[in-house]
Amino acid sequence: MRNLLFLLAKFGGTILFILLEVICFYIIITFNESQGDIWKHSTNLLSGNINQKVQNTSDYFALEAINDSLLTENAKLLESIINYRVFSKENEFQEFEAIDSNFIEYKFLPARITNKTFNKRNNYITLNKGLQDSIKIGMGVVSSNGIVGIVKNVSEHYCLVLTILHGQSRISAAIKNNDFHGTLMWDEMNPKQAKLIGLPKHATVSVGDTIVTSGYSTVFPYGVEIGNVQDYAPLPNEDSFEIIVNLFNDIPAVTHCYIIRSIKQEEKLEIELGVEDEF
Amino acid sequence: MNFNWISILFRFVLLVGIQVLVFKRINFDYGILSYSHIFIYPLWIMLLPFKTPKPLLLIAGFIMGMTVDAFYHSPGVHAAALVFSAYIRDFVLRIIEPEIGYDPDQPFSIRRLGIIWYISYAALFLLLHLFVYFSIEVFSFVYFYEIMLSTITTLLFSMFIVFIFVLIFNPKS
Repeated sequence: MRNLLFLLAKFGGTILFILLEVICFYIIITFNESQGDIWKHSTNLLSGNINQKVQNTSDYFALEAINDSLLTENAKLLESIINYRVFSKENEFQEFEAIDSNFIEYKFLPARITNKTFNKRNNYITLNKGLQDSIKIGMGVVSSNGIVGIVKNVSEHYCLVLTILHGQSRISAAIKNNDFHGTLMWDEMNPKQAKLIGLPKHATVSVGDTIVTSGYSTVFPYGVEIGNVQDYAPLPNEDSFEIIVNLFNDIPAVTHCYIIRSIKQEEKLEIELGVEDEF
Repeated sequence: MNFNWISILFRFVLLVGIQVLVFKRINFDYGILSYSHIFIYPLWIMLLPFKTPKPLLLIAGFIMGMTVDAFYHSPGVHAAALVFSAYIRDFVLRIIEPEIGYDPDQPFSIRRLGIIWYISYAALFLLLHLFVYFSIEVFSFVYFYEIMLSTITTLLFSMFIVFIFVLIFNPKS
């Protein structure tokens, strides 16, 4: 207590000075317009800066959830684009009503890559969707840049995708806009290139043409981009071209995929099987 | 302590009265002079008795400042500056302490300390007060040039009036 009094006697003036100045400044910024504005502006600058930093940090932690939601959104957009394309190819003179579920032929399910190999002759990737999400063998897998592969095997939570960088990969592909189609295979050398064979010799091909999926298999809808023509030459003794295709998709760098579920796939397969039985 | 309460109170009323009734109405509307005002109310704090305890000095500064603010419609601005001035009055007095020292009985006698001492005391005190006042009024050192201009022009005019005031009233204690 004595020390406190001593302190007050010694620094009382200074303490009172600070107290009075604080009161004055409080009065100034409360009752004076211009000073109050400056005060608010300055404190806003400071607190805004701090808030921004906090926001940035918390945004970073939310990235995963945001990624997932963006992925779902992308899947929906892709779904509507692909379905629109398929529909408008089949019904040239009808207007597309996007929301009508009758026209939805393909559903897109986002998935994340959990494991992958790309330095072998036969390359697979593993996705984090499985039987739980009603994934079946034979479904197509694409990414935002184009085609990735076909589901080869499914477990409860994961599925194995046979990528187009696989010795046994066969994809039905066509030249965009003129519909001559052939089979896409990997030349087992370069992950950026593939081969398109079986294209008839009377097809018109030129360097730079875009190659898309043909839509004749039930796996991929029409119009998923694959790559463009880098070089082409007629095969000797055969009635077809061999085309070197530059892949759009850098498959080793892909992190997110969309699994395509064709709603009419079973129906289509059934009717085609019936035809085969006749032979 | 033998304060002359009547004369202090009288000086308070007189200074506030002249300040708000006369000098508040004077606007220099001519070029560089438009930055200047005339402030004589700090004279009250300057001339408070030498031995006034610091807390009392600060409270006096606060009351005087708020009174002037009430008329100038700028709550707290004059008060903040004058509280600051009251706080540094001791330092100012110590800086310009004359060789003969202060007489505890008649510290502010013109006859004893001379007019030169008086002018330098008033100039230093007012300079610091006005600089703080205009800084708080503008509330941003972005306008440092304007603050300095206002301080110096106002100091010149105010010094003139303070000089006359001191000559007329010739404070003794």
